[in-house]
Parts: sequence; structure tokens; C-alpha cells
Amino acid sequence: MIDFDLGDELELLRSTAQQFAADHLRPALRDHESARQISQPAHAAFAEIGFAALECPESLGGSALGSLARCLMMEELAAADPGAALALDRLGAALYPIAEMGGDEALERFARPVLDTPDTRAALVWCGEGARAQTLRSGDRISGFVPWVPSDRVDLLLLLDERGCSIVHENIRCESLRGGGLRAAGAAELHLDDAPVAAHLEGEAAAGRALARARLYVTALLVGVMRESAEFSRQYALDRVAFGRPIAHHQGLAFLIADMATAVDAARVLLWEAAVRRDDAQANGLATHEQAAEAAATAFAEAAEQSLFVTPNGVQILGGHGFMQDYPVEKMMREARSLSLLLGGVDLAREHAARDLVVHEGPVALTLEAPP
Amino acid sequence: MNLVIDGPTRERLDSVRAIGESQIRPVGIEADRLGRPVPPDHPFFEMLVKVGLGRTRWDGKAEADRAAASSSSGASTPKLGASRGQLAVAEETSYWDRGVAVAFPGPGLGDPPISSMGTPDQKERFLGRFLNPDRPMWGSFAMTEPGAGSDVAGIQTTAHKDGDSWILHGAKSFAAHASRAEWIVVWATVDRSLGRDGHRAFVVERGTPGLGDFVVERKMGLKAYESTSFTLSDCRVPSANLLGGEDYYARKAGFKGAMKSFNATRPLVAAMAVGIGRAALDSAVVFARENDLLGQVRVRDRLERTRRRLRAARLLCWRAAWLADYGRPNILEASMSKAFAPSVAFEAASLGMELLGEVGGRGDHLIEKLFRDVKAMDIVEGTGQIQRVVMARQLVRLPRD
Repeated sequence: MIDFDLGDELELLRSTAQQFAADHLRPALRDHESARQISQPAHAAFAEIGFAALECPESLGGSALGSLARCLMMEELAAADPGAALALDRLGAALYPIAEMGGDEALERFARPVLDTPDTRAALVWCGEGARAQTLRSGDRISGFVPWVPSDRVDLLLLLDERGCSIVHENIRCESLRGGGLRAAGAAELHLDDAPVAAHLEGEAAAGRALARARLYVTALLVGVMRESAEFSRQYALDRVAFGRPIAHHQGLAFLIADMATAVDAARVLLWEAAVRRDDAQANGLATHEQAAEAAATAFAEAAEQSLFVTPNGVQILGGHGFMQDYPVEKMMREARSLSLLLGGVDLAREHAARDLVVHEGPVALTLEAPP
Repeated sequence: MNLVIDGPTRERLDSVRAIGESQIRPVGIEADRLGRPVPPDHPFFEMLVKVGLGRTRWDGKAEADRAAASSSSGASTPKLGASRGQLAVAEETSYWDRGVAVAFPGPGLGDPPISSMGTPDQKERFLGRFLNPDRPMWGSFAMTEPGAGSDVAGIQTTAHKDGDSWILHGAKSFAAHASRAEWIVVWATVDRSLGRDGHRAFVVERGTPGLGDFVVERKMGLKAYESTSFTLSDCRVPSANLLGGEDYYARKAGFKGAMKSFNATRPLVAAMAVGIGRAALDSAVVFARENDLLGQVRVRDRLERTRRRLRAARLLCWRAAWLADYGRPNILEASMSKAFAPSVAFEAASLGMELLGEVGGRGDHLIEKLFRDVKAMDIVEGTGQIQRVVMARQLVRLPRD
């Protein structure tokens, strides 16, 4: 029956991530942002805990955990600093196209060097419908331009579209950018001038699965950052007194705070559902991969919309202070906006989420039901 | 974590679906067209009773047996999964017709207060007949007054003790089933200056002298069930009908009794809103497909958003019910689901109307009916604003004054 209990293993993972964030990320929020990199002790602790290879197969030194585990972990890290989460998780969502389309051999060849070599970074860039990246592949060479990736360097580049994925790890020229949000992870534009394509992986279904998993990854970051914005501004509203009482006790703000809490939870339950669908599709066939992909696109769209309600209101509640960089809420607003630009952005997610509405006839299903 | 509706629940949903299209929805459309509640002698109600509906959730003697068995604590163990199962059925029934779902025979909103506050004798007297009814019967619940809606603490109906009975005096509004009910749970105050502490609940039986002036209100939607106003004119009620007996109120649990029953039903009412919204969405998608609107990005986007929000609303309802099933606090989550779902469901119906275009203006399309029906969901069982007050008490300790 419907049950939201995470179980001991996932609760432990969540609290571990929470503790890591409290120890290493939260106190250094602005330092990481201005330095555009994460302290070495934080990197060491991240590797030590085994966060990086959470979803990797055991052959790669991973824990072979699923999407729900990954989402819980990323939410906790992003609640402290989503830019730092991207910087620490150096392979990140680039894992998914390799795993879905290339299998163990490709993981060994492309993922392992990033996992094993400190300071290297991988990037996943959407090049399909609606992409702002422009790439042109001819045979085993590729040229093009990517306007922004949240990284100062790219050692492994995955160019994903609807049909497959090109993997590039040479001749990637990065030009550093100031970056709008997520600066702790860095920011660069990428130029490819006749760069060699190390591998080109084909498969529409697998490309769809990879995109879906990447969307879960970014959605978890969005949920984390908006949760923190809602929480920080809630606390602030209790401390700040105006007109003789905490501003939280003026109904205009009390209702807004309630709506922000609802927005965060609405996004989170859709994220959980999508993650569970993906794990079900992978493990026991309770859901299909098409259902999982639709759920992931749905969750991404919801998290993007709700974060753009929550995080600007986080700034609003702090008023003038919210606009100043002494407080973290302005950073959260920038980062929520930046995150939802990734992977083709919100419009593409809406389009993918709506795909089955167009195709399938009969009643619209909101939840899966056990087969008879 | 498990987010699949299990087999037994799916079977219950299937049984609702079996009568949903053929009976529940047509009966609702008929009542809407005729502009009157489904009459108590409608064959549909007879059929429901025959298939075992219209019963109390109180399990009669089984409860007494359990209490005797667990002599140490005496605490009754909740039926695991009960809230979630109830939620699923409520949503599905409302999908077919929310008004008819409310009109179903049974003790209705009177069930929770009697089964939670009532003495063993009162449960037997008032709920016993609903254990295995041989004809459609209704119970009713009357808190709201002409001048006291959300502010339930402000009720004006008075109760005075007189020998071995109580004299009730006042007026009640919008009580479902009141004119056809076997009894009505009536909330009154023994002393207005005491606020909530002065509240008492009485079971007023049909035909009690002084109970009368029933007016079945005319509504915008949800016409299938009666929302009835009535008066209590020096209405004499035996002391044995004071719900819970005098001891219960000596423990100052009066108001909490009412609020407890509300709190248990919030996710349920939110789920009903999801059901209405889902009906509107399904109908809107069918219309859009038949009229070649699905090729438009603007249409697809809004349908997608509507489904997404309904899905989130449903999950928020499930979460609140799941907490309730494990006896964990759910005040914030219950109110969150109730604050969220009705507005999402309204959007679904409103979008449906928009896609219909002028077809929606005719007044004969299902979506047009749902558009009128759904608005009530943001008002009953605590308005959206009251839910936000409740949430703010949890989130920022919003003071009660």
C-alpha cells in the first residue's frame, strides 16, 4: 500500500548527507562561491563517504543504490549549497548516458578516470530539441559551442540528444564566465573545434532513460535549494519584529509562509514519486521506463515552477536584507533559476511530461495501481 | 517507499467504477438538472444499502471485546491502512459525482464524533442501527450557524440544563441530510463567555419537539445532497443524549472533540477535490482530442500542469492519510493537502471550461457542472484560509488571538 517510509538504510544516507552539508558546506557558503571551488577537506570527506559512486555498479567501487537514494542525498547537499554539490560530485549526471547507453565497458573507459582523478570534472549538455548549445558532428569529429556549463573545466563532455550521445574528452576549450548562479561549481562556455568524438552511443530509449535520470538529479537540487529558502525565511520571519510582533505573525506573511511550505512539499512528493518509478522500472517492472521518464519530466517542471515561487519570496520576506549578500536567500534565488535552465529547461520538460497525454486515450492516470 | 495502490484497494476502486459511470454520475446529473437533492426513496439508495453501503465505521461489539481483551491500556488499535483505503474510495466516488457521494446513506459526519466521544450506550443507540441497516438511513452533523462558519468557537445556539434534560435554542445552517436524518449531532454552548470550553454536543433525534423549520438550501452545485438549515426552539433533549456524558466535558475535551473529527477528514475532503479535478481533466482531454486541440503547445502545457498539480495534490493527501494510519501527528500535512487540492481542482475545471469555449456556456456539459461543484471544496471542512491559519500555527506559532 502507499507508504512514504524511507526505511533505515535511506534514513541513514539522508542523515549522513545532512551532517556532511552541515560540517563542510554550510559554513563555507560564500567562500566556496567566491573561490569557485570547494575546499580540499570537503572533497576528501565526500570521497571518503562514497557519495560520488552512490549509483555506480560495485565493479566501479560504487554502492549500486537507486534514484531515490541519489535524490535524497542531492536534496540534502543542495539545501546547503547546490553549486558545491555539483562541484563535489565531479562525475554527476554525466554518469547516466554512459551507464544507460554504454554499459560497464564504457563506464570503465569514461567514468572511472573522472572518479579516480581528483579535480577532473564531467559535464552533461543537452543538445536535442530546444537546446541553446550548437554542435555539428561529422563522422568522428565534432564542432560547436555551449553557452554555459556550471564548471570551470571539463575533462569529459557528454552531448546528449533524443537519439544518442557523443562523448568528447579532448580539445574541449573552456572560457571562464562569471556565472549567474552555482558559482561554487564554476562557469564556462565551451568551444569544440573539430574535436575527436571518443565514442558515439546510439539508442532512443536509452537516451530517454538517461535524460530522465539527469532530470531527477537536477530536480533534487531544486527541491533542496527551495526548501532551504523557505526554511531560512521562515526562521527570519520569526525573529524579525515589525509593528510590534514577529513579521511571521502578520497574516500576509503567515499565509505566504504556509504556501511556500506547501510548494516545497508538492515538488518533493513528485520527485519522490518519479524516483520510485525509476527504481521500480529498473528493479521490479512495477513501472515502465516510459512512465518513469514522464514522471521525471513532471517532477522537473513542478520543481522549476515551485522554486520560482518559493525562492523569490524567500528574498521578499527578508526585504532589503534579502537583496544583500549578507544573507543567503539571494543566492538561492539565482541558483534555483540557473538549475532549471539545464537539460533543455522547463519548456522541454513540460513537453515531455505531456507526451503521453497526447498519445494515450482513456482516463488520465495519476498514480499506478497494482495489476489485477 | 511504495507509491503503488495495492491490489485490495484497487479492487475497491473497481467496485466504485462499476457503478460510477452507470449510476453515480447519471444520478448526480439528474439532481443537478432537476435542481433538488436526490430524494430519500430513490432506488439508487436502496441499491447501495443492498450491497452493504450506508454503514457506520464503528465496529460495534468488536470494540467492546477488544477493550475487554486489552485490559492494561484499553487503547483501541487503529485499523492499519484504514485512512488510505478510505481516501482512495472517496476520491474515486467524487470522480463520478461528489454530490451523490455525500448523499450516500449512512451516519455521515455524525459518525466520527459519536464513535470517538460517545458512551458505549450512545454508540449502541445511535450507531447500532447503522451496523447492518435494512433501509437507507442518514445521520447529520450541525456545527455551522448563520453567524458562525469558520469561527466555530463563536456558535450562539444555547443549551440549558433543566432537570434530567437539556433545552436547546438556536439556528443551524448547511447541515447535510438534516431533514431526512435519524438524528443530528448538534453543537451548542452552555455559556458563550467560556468560548470553546462551553461547547457541548447533543444527539437530537428526529421528531423531537422544537426541532423544525427545515429549509433545504438552493446551491450553485453539489445539488444531489441536501444542505439544510433548521431551528431549535426550546428543544428538549434527554441528558442521555449529551454526547460523551457530563464527565467528558469536565475533562475540557469539548471543542477538541469537534476539531479532532475535522482534522481526520481534511485529507479526505482534499482527496474528493482531486476526484472532481480528475473528472474535469479527463473530460477536458477527451474534448481536446475530439476537437484537435492537442496539437497546440499552449493547450498541452496547461493540461500537463493540471495533471501534475492534481498528482501532487493526491500525493499530499496520501501522505497525510499515511501519517494518520500510523497514529503520527498530521496537522500540518492534513491542512496542507486541504489548502492545496481544492484550488488545483478548480483550475482543472476552469481550464476544462476554457477548452470548451462557448460550448461551456451552454450549461449542459459535465465540465460546466464540475466547475460549479468544485468551488465548495475550498469552503467545506475549513476554508483554504483557515487551513493556512492552521499551518501557520504549526510553522510559525501564529497566535490564536
